[in-house]
Amino acid sequence: MIKTTFDMLLVVGLVVSAFLAVYLDEAIHAVLSLAVMNVILSVFYFSLNTPFAAVFQLTMGIGTVAVLFLAAEMLTTKVGAQTLRHRLLGLIIGVLLSVPSILAVGHEITVISPYQFQFSTALWELRAIDVIAQGLVILTVAIGIAIILKEKRRGT
Amino acid sequence: MEYIILSMTLLAIGIYGLTTKYDLIKLLISVELITIAASMNFVIFASSLNDALGQAFLILAFSVDTCITAVALALVIIVYRKLGTLDIRELSKLKE
Repeated sequence: MIKTTFDMLLVVGLVVSAFLAVYLDEAIHAVLSLAVMNVILSVFYFSLNTPFAAVFQLTMGIGTVAVLFLAAEMLTTKVGAQTLRHRLLGLIIGVLLSVPSILAVGHEITVISPYQFQFSTALWELRAIDVIAQGLVILTVAIGIAIILKEKRRGT
Repeated sequence: MEYIILSMTLLAIGIYGLTTKYDLIKLLISVELITIAASMNFVIFASSLNDALGQAFLILAFSVDTCITAVALALVIIVYRKLGTLDIRELSKLKE
């Protein structure tokens, strides 16, 4: 019962913060809402007994939010603040959007997997080549972004 | 497995943001929500099947997600330098 209530609170918080991240006009407020959503999502992953996913979600979320926050602060101008009524409307819509997910909480469908891999086995024995390839992809993207920004600076 | 509806709700919110907002930062946040909704499925299935393979895939998906955000943000900065605005309605001027 307690776990179900906690799960419902997580679901409501997740959907409301996600909706506010899109709904709010001020970019800084939207990014802050996204940060809250990342933290709630990490707690949600912990509650699903997937600790590695939770830790990665938190670390990647913090990095993304930090970059987005800097971009929003530097690139956007202050728009007229939304009225309290407008924000409350966003909150109510967010809560309403979370109703279908709340109704589904507790109706667990059990499926038996034919495989029962441990995390280290799955990552380093089954997907080892993928991990190395992803490292190369990240390196390539980093070099590509540096080249793009350098050329644009030269051009302007 | 009951949380599939939650991931679909997040996907719907992301699509709503992509279709109704004109600010590039907001669009980036919407894309972020869509990728979170997609990667949440890995966690949900990994949890319900009690199999860590989903978590391993999630980590790989996160790296792709980070690359998407980095490239998109670089493009946002280029657009801002060129046009001085983040409104996507102004992007049609790039064709000229």
